[in-house]
Amino acid sequence: MASPNTKANPAFYAVIALLVFMSVGPVILMFMNSFKLDVDIISGSSGLIFLPTIQNYEKALCDVLWYEPDHVDFCSLKFGGAFINSLIIALISTVLTLVIGCMAAYALVRFRFMGRDTVSLSTLMVRMVPPAVLLVPVFGLWNNEFCLDRDGLIGGAIRDTFGGRGDVCLAGTHSGIILIYVAMNLPFVIWILQSFIVQVPRSLEEAARVDGAGPFQVFFKVVLPLIKPGLAAAAIFTFRIAWNEYLLASALSDRDTRTMPILIVNNMSEFNVEWGVIMATGMLLAIPPIIFTLFASRQIITGMTAGAVKG
Amino acid sequence: MIKGLKSTAVGLTTMAFMTGAAFANPYAEYEGTTLIVNFPAHPHYNAVMQILPEFTKQTGIEVEVDQLPYLKMRERQTLELAQDEGEYDLIAYVVFSKADYVYADQLENLAKYFMNPKLSNPAYDAGDLIDGYVYNIGFAGGDKGYLQGSTGSLFGIPYGSETSVLGYRKDIFEKHGLEVPETYDEMLEIACQIPELEPGMGGLSSRAASGHHAAHAFLLHLNTLGGAIFDDEWNPVVNNAAGVQAAEALKSIVDCGPEGATNFGFGEALGSFLNGDTAMFLDTTVVAGQIDDPSKSQVVGKVGWAMHPMGVKRASQTGGFGIGIPANAENKEAAFLLMQWLTSKEGDKLVAMAGGNPSRFSTHADADVNAKFPHMATFGEALQYADPDWRPIIPVWGKINADLGTTLSKVLTEDLDIQEALDGVAERTKAVMEDAGYYTWN
Amino acid sequence: MRTAMANRLTPYMFMAPAIVIMALALMYPLGYMIWGSFRDWNPSQTIGEAEFVGLKNYITLWGDPNFHESLGVTLRFAFFVVSIEMVLGVGLALLLDRDIRGISVLRTMFILPMMIAPVVVGLMWRYMYHPTVGTFNRFLDGIGLPTVDWLGQHALMSIIIADIWQWTPFIFILSLAALQSLPRSALEAARIDGATAWQQVIHIKLPLMMPVLIVTGLLRLIDAFKVLEVILVMTEGGPGLSTEILALRISRTATEFRELGVAAAMSNYLLILLLLLTVAMFAFNRWQETRAARVQALVEEDD
Repeated sequence: MASPNTKANPAFYAVIALLVFMSVGPVILMFMNSFKLDVDIISGSSGLIFLPTIQNYEKALCDVLWYEPDHVDFCSLKFGGAFINSLIIALISTVLTLVIGCMAAYALVRFRFMGRDTVSLSTLMVRMVPPAVLLVPVFGLWNNEFCLDRDGLIGGAIRDTFGGRGDVCLAGTHSGIILIYVAMNLPFVIWILQSFIVQVPRSLEEAARVDGAGPFQVFFKVVLPLIKPGLAAAAIFTFRIAWNEYLLASALSDRDTRTMPILIVNNMSEFNVEWGVIMATGMLLAIPPIIFTLFASRQIITGMTAGAVKG
Repeated sequence: MIKGLKSTAVGLTTMAFMTGAAFANPYAEYEGTTLIVNFPAHPHYNAVMQILPEFTKQTGIEVEVDQLPYLKMRERQTLELAQDEGEYDLIAYVVFSKADYVYADQLENLAKYFMNPKLSNPAYDAGDLIDGYVYNIGFAGGDKGYLQGSTGSLFGIPYGSETSVLGYRKDIFEKHGLEVPETYDEMLEIACQIPELEPGMGGLSSRAASGHHAAHAFLLHLNTLGGAIFDDEWNPVVNNAAGVQAAEALKSIVDCGPEGATNFGFGEALGSFLNGDTAMFLDTTVVAGQIDDPSKSQVVGKVGWAMHPMGVKRASQTGGFGIGIPANAENKEAAFLLMQWLTSKEGDKLVAMAGGNPSRFSTHADADVNAKFPHMATFGEALQYADPDWRPIIPVWGKINADLGTTLSKVLTEDLDIQEALDGVAERTKAVMEDAGYYTWN
Repeated sequence: MRTAMANRLTPYMFMAPAIVIMALALMYPLGYMIWGSFRDWNPSQTIGEAEFVGLKNYITLWGDPNFHESLGVTLRFAFFVVSIEMVLGVGLALLLDRDIRGISVLRTMFILPMMIAPVVVGLMWRYMYHPTVGTFNRFLDGIGLPTVDWLGQHALMSIIIADIWQWTPFIFILSLAALQSLPRSALEAARIDGATAWQQVIHIKLPLMMPVLIVTGLLRLIDAFKVLEVILVMTEGGPGLSTEILALRISRTATEFRELGVAAAMSNYLLILLLLLTVAMFAFNRWQETRAARVQALVEEDD
């Protein structure tokens, strides 16, 4: 699309440089500050010249370090555990959302059945529900309704095996958080994948069916491999939400299931504005999304365009 | 993980040692128990974290701490205490949670533990605990429903008690020949002189951000200036002359304060003092440790301490935390032992030496503590004026406090008229109180 | 017979997991919330114990000045954020729509802000806005300009800037995609007719992009009502209520004020607002489909 009248002129490149600086600058700033001592950050002995230190990271990850750093009096942050929680929750909910969402999208595109339009429409509608709206009901349900009696058969067995107190409820478990993330992400994933599945040529499926494959075989052997780019895009978006989400996780998690965003917000407590540690935790949380961005930007952009344009 | 193993190992050796000892060990029955406790992220409790290994070493009782910022801590507790079996064995609670928890029957009455000869340590010396705090934080059911009195009883023990003191920069005061303020008028005058004398420096850094920050700063002045939220019949009087005066004081402090003061929470206010951007700091005693910590503070050794200045009376705040045993706890007796140990003379001194806020008169007078923290004597003096009734501790206080804080923040940032703003608060407070049934007997 | 039965069941088997999960974790909670909004409900009660109070929560909110202010903040935030982002994003797309080497690298850089957790975005900006140690005030101070009370007096502006930073790239990328899929023939024709660059933009590019732009704008608008973490970390809604958007107020009402019923009623108001927007988006989509067909026909005629 090179138009002849757009000669590369310096002002144009200056604009681009400025844009890049603006979008990447804050991240680089955070990266550098995470290697500074608080005193250096606050006193502002200027930007580039400082002695890098990994103290902030040691402090953040003190619960998984194999040694005890001298400058840590006691381990308060337990960021390592939260990292693992975040990983478990984000990975499992991504996989579940993809599998379930893919099947649903396939059914919506390829089959005509009763209730199809209702399902399709409500899928679209729930896309707009903000997490804050889900806060109250999810809090109430997960804590009080979605429970197994601790004296009951299954509840009792769970209490005997895993310990813990009170009735066995979804709140405070990984599964509880995973369930709401899967539900929240499904509409979006179904939406995106529909637009990819439409493009799979029907003839391929027919051919497989003639060869004697059942509907599930057709789906897994023929359709799935063809929509890989769509799956990648959907996976990244689902992972991103599950990895970054704060509000619902903070209402549903307990001592053992807190995820990283919760710890970061907690650590900004009013008594302790330790910028260095905060920046280090921020960096740790930002690393997976940064990696995705660097290696899968094409998929991200495909996903974004598909998600927005294909109504 | 490694640490867990290590402390278990310590526990085991102690256990071996203890069983070999000839004398009876009151802790023996609970050895190997793991207590789960819920503490706030707060300098005092950071000091507590450092002395807990000592408790485990002495008793063989493991302690697992869930440390949360205190608003989060309260949210968590609201949920945990409502279950029929809860996770926490011991909780720290902020003063105004006392009303909610006791009202909902969620805290253990401590009488039965202090009556139990197997649990109660005869050397505990409860009379040495600073009474203002015990009344403020521990008692409920007496006067006004939330204080000590003939019908009151004990539900918790103050731990991490704070009062308000005035910190000032000795070097700045000396340089300009300023006197340490004794009264509110003097303090406000100096606060507004400083920015002229020392360009770029704020007078007094105070909390002011929307919500509980602004409300706290206001209450700090209100009591001293002779005001109150309610009269004796629970009628809101926050909009009387003293209330207006307190809000004006807060506004002039913020106006003469450092840059960005309108959005300061406690952390920012303290940060600005630590960074040398303000000359005075009127807030809780809890900060002393950080001010003397060179890794956090640029003003080490430059800060002097004085009592909260006088308004119409001398009265400093009572605040901080207490510890209590949830009614739905699993290991109540072991939790009581931990509670008793932490607030004992020994525990109180240990935590003071680690930088915490002692709750006993004897600790404030202790020679070792004073040698390490010379300001402790002033703090001890300030404690005599600590007023347990400087703010109402009733179940609906949270709501009133939030409204007060938001409205004051508007006064500070949007130039809302003070009288009008406080009238609004009083009116809404009246409605809240009406709703809660406070005027049933009038 | 059996296979016919199985065939008829197939779509339901494919749909079942999704339907079960969404019914259990989205639809049921939404119903539960509506039910709860008629109750005086605090977090330590189960919903059964809470007292039924009819429409009281809705009426209280209707007359509550704090709720009005919060609603106003939400609408202002959404309006400014979306309009500024649209102008910037589309403008940049038009500007950068040419063959430059490394455009893919550039796009990668631009999507970075969107991928990072809102919590982290919030803390980066909170640091940069800090009155004394923050990057902006230090810079202003350094070149001798007066400093700005970012998160104090100009809090709403500051959070709007942060959101623009994070989300303009979204609009940029979608508009760029739209631009690059425009029919060449129309542009070619215009150039041959001697249209200037400006004329091409105004008379050809923008009108042709319009459908995509409006959908993008509406999507952003819906998302703008969901923003919460960034603001929570930066200002916690303060000073006053100046940045307390509805989502934040809902969460504060539920957790800090412990009034689940009122929070549920507030959630319902927000939901109704978003429902209207979504319906508008559907309506627009329908309308656009019919119009697209017409435009297509016109373009073909031109050829």
